[in-house]
Amino acid sequence: MDFTEPVVLVLTSLADGPKHGYALAKDIEWFAGTKLGPGTLYGALSRLEGRGWIEALPAEDRRRPYRITAAGAEALARHLQAAQRVAATGLARLELRPTS
Amino acid sequence: MNDVPAGPATEPSPWPSRLLAVYPPAWRARYGEEVDLLVKDLSEHGHAAIPMAIDLLCGAAAAWLFDRRIDMSERSREALIRVLWSWVAFATVATWFGHDLGIYPTAPAAHELASAHPVVPDAYHVLLAAGVFGVAATAVAALVYALDAGRNAARAGRWRTFALMAVPVLIGAAWIAGTRLLHGNGPETSGKLTFAVAWLLLGIAGIAISTQAVVTVIRSSEFSESTWRIGGAAAAAVTAAMAVATLATLTWGIAVRTSLTHPGDATGWLVVSAIMAVTTGRAVLAMVGTHRHAPETPAVA
Repeated sequence: MDFTEPVVLVLTSLADGPKHGYALAKDIEWFAGTKLGPGTLYGALSRLEGRGWIEALPAEDRRRPYRITAAGAEALARHLQAAQRVAATGLARLELRPTS
Repeated sequence: MNDVPAGPATEPSPWPSRLLAVYPPAWRARYGEEVDLLVKDLSEHGHAAIPMAIDLLCGAAAAWLFDRRIDMSERSREALIRVLWSWVAFATVATWFGHDLGIYPTAPAAHELASAHPVVPDAYHVLLAAGVFGVAATAVAALVYALDAGRNAARAGRWRTFALMAVPVLIGAAWIAGTRLLHGNGPETSGKLTFAVAWLLLGIAGIAISTQAVVTVIRSSEFSESTWRIGGAAAAAVTAAMAVATLATLTWGIAVRTSLTHPGDATGWLVVSAIMAVTTGRAVLAMVGTHRHAPETPAVA
């Protein structure tokens, strides 16, 4: 599955425990400064659920929480490690860049 | 765990929720109520309605596309393989028949046929056009699948995938080189003819071995969603080409039987038409089965 930004944000948000739609939107806004709309958020949730990287839990007051699965956690870790390498390389190269 | 906003859930939904009507029915049945609640929650916390509406419309478009993607992804792996085998069998028979059509009918017979049935297309050129179209679609898909499988295999260190991908190339090169040698040496003899028939049979075995190698790569590799989409489009294009070529061959054969004074033995045409019809039917059924597989609603507790 393609690691789009909403997919990464949702997996990252679920990494510290299950959340329902609104809690996810608030958490993502808090840690990433990104406001995910309902269509984008549930688009990511449906793709992740279809892939088996998250799973739905029983609804609480009609709001259904989702939790990350072991496969989802592993995929997120792999993606973030690769992103970290790219970020570290980019930052190091920017520091080496001669200033004009 | 969850910061649930206050407010009764029975309040009327904000107007952007009505846009859920444009989502795919299966998607709406699974997520509609949750999205409706989220729209309510976001509205209560000051989110503007118009950006939400635009986001929901984009989400609906993506959901329709995603439905199609699911149809053309892992679920369609076996369907794609069935189309591939059908296409290979079809193309092998059609190539042989097309080669014969390039020689037969003779010029007078073709003239007689054209006068009796001026609207019946020339089966040879229809077969040729359908074949070129099908081969081009297969080549594009093969390239995309090979690149994707190769990339993933290199990342995972699965060198067997590269060995399997080399099989069709090596067999094809060896067979073409052998054919050139066969045609380039001296006069035709009976021994040479026997060898040519054996070589032709070896070629058919090579096609089967190459196809099985490709199928093994498809079964054992991970492919991206875009690769599956291209595979689905290529399978649809190939199936359409097969249907056109089969129809052309059947029409041409019937026209020959009904217009020529001495149409000759019909066995070859009947056998070829039957094989073409069966392989096309298998490909059509595989494609129809793929589209009938609506994405399963994920089971939730």
